[in-house]
Amino acid sequence: MKEGAQVLPVEQGSNLILLRYFQGIKVWKEEKQLTEFIMAQNVSPRSGFGGSRKTNEGVSGGSKDTHSVSKRLHSELMTLMMKGDKGISAFPDGDNIFKWIGTIHGPEETVFSGLTFKLSLEFPSGYPYTPPSVKFISPCFHPNVDTAGNICLDILKDKWSALLDVRTILISIQSLLSEPNIESPLNTKAAQMWKNQETYRKHLTEVVHKNSN
Amino acid sequence: MAEEATTPAPITNGEGISQQELDSNALHDELVMKQQEAIDKEISLTIPLVRDKESVRVLTEEYKEDAVYQKKVDEISASYKFIRRTRPDGNCFFRAFCYASLERLVGKEDEFKAFREKFAASKDILAAAGFTQFTVDDFYDNFLEILDKVGKGMTDQELFDQLNEQSMADYLVVYLRILTSAELRKGREFYVNFIDGEQSLDDFCQLEVEPMYKESDHIHIIALTSALGIGVRIVYMDRGLGGNHDFPDSLAPSIHLLYRPGHYDIIYPNAETV
Repeated sequence: MKEGAQVLPVEQGSNLILLRYFQGIKVWKEEKQLTEFIMAQNVSPRSGFGGSRKTNEGVSGGSKDTHSVSKRLHSELMTLMMKGDKGISAFPDGDNIFKWIGTIHGPEETVFSGLTFKLSLEFPSGYPYTPPSVKFISPCFHPNVDTAGNICLDILKDKWSALLDVRTILISIQSLLSEPNIESPLNTKAAQMWKNQETYRKHLTEVVHKNSN
Repeated sequence: MAEEATTPAPITNGEGISQQELDSNALHDELVMKQQEAIDKEISLTIPLVRDKESVRVLTEEYKEDAVYQKKVDEISASYKFIRRTRPDGNCFFRAFCYASLERLVGKEDEFKAFREKFAASKDILAAAGFTQFTVDDFYDNFLEILDKVGKGMTDQELFDQLNEQSMADYLVVYLRILTSAELRKGREFYVNFIDGEQSLDDFCQLEVEPMYKESDHIHIIALTSALGIGVRIVYMDRGLGGNHDFPDSLAPSIHLLYRPGHYDIIYPNAETV
């Protein structure tokens, strides 16, 4: 792993940006967590990222692809932080760069306003040309989200390409919240209720999100 | 207001489909997807990305029972000696193009220099398309790395091994897909005429060009060959008139591909040896 230590996936100066990001989004309550994350990356990037990762059968899962994927994910993390988009954020879950937790704030002036949603993002070894698997962890009562949190969104399936990234995914999901596709629902109850926004809002606050926020 | 939520009306969507039916449809979709995945896996385990060169006569074996195709094989063998088959996974055009365009540079310094220049210029086409830089950089760098290895004396066998390593090979395919998309966007006024129906050029790029495993059509081929300035001759082997077509028609072909419905393989003219 010595040669791994020379190829730092985190670019110079980026630790500072990481810290600023951390202060801004308050996702990570313990600064220690972040410091540990950075340390884990710098000491042994390959073993640190690849440890719990499965390799596809039939793919010669050498260090090349592991390294490329983690390098790409670091660029994505940087972009997310630097763009500072309103109401979306994401960060690796622990020291595994292949699993992230995303946060989306319900768009203002919609029934979801004031609500916060957590999502899990898992990156396969074929990332970025294979899409990540993205699911709601928080309950999300929405026409295009099923009860298990699975999302029906074209860019996560047949429109996915390597040109897309975590940022575009989160932005798309955020706009899906305010503009559901009622024609092909995963949750018919939500699709039915959508026409009455008042009832919908009431259902969200009094039933679905009763115990959260 | 509260009554409305408690009314036990059957839940349907606009077309009167119940949640139950929806779930059973979803289950069906899932089964179809699982089956497709199993087929894909079978293909990926049994067929290499790129195979060794074989005599085009292997095609005779393949179409033993078919007089129409037998005749076509005879016609093809008059001009072509070898075939190199590629995995039929929807990426075959890009994979065949990639392999053939790198293979022809092995041990050919002048060709290498000319191609490297064109390849380096392809980065400008990407920049003009406005893609997020970091999403394209890795793929460009990776392609350039292999290209330069070829320039530094990589052997045919080494190239064969590299391009049969999935993670490496797929990075090359992704680059060519991104480049094709960028070229289509750049020449939008021209290419839009080739797109059927209501679909916009951007949608076409997002649905049919950029994603992996999406099959290529003439429009992909014209765009990629124009972007890199490499002429490709496609030899058609089907039940129709067959014949050849050169892309773009302004360039002499330096790569030859055999098209059979839904699939591209590399073929080598008679003048070339093993």
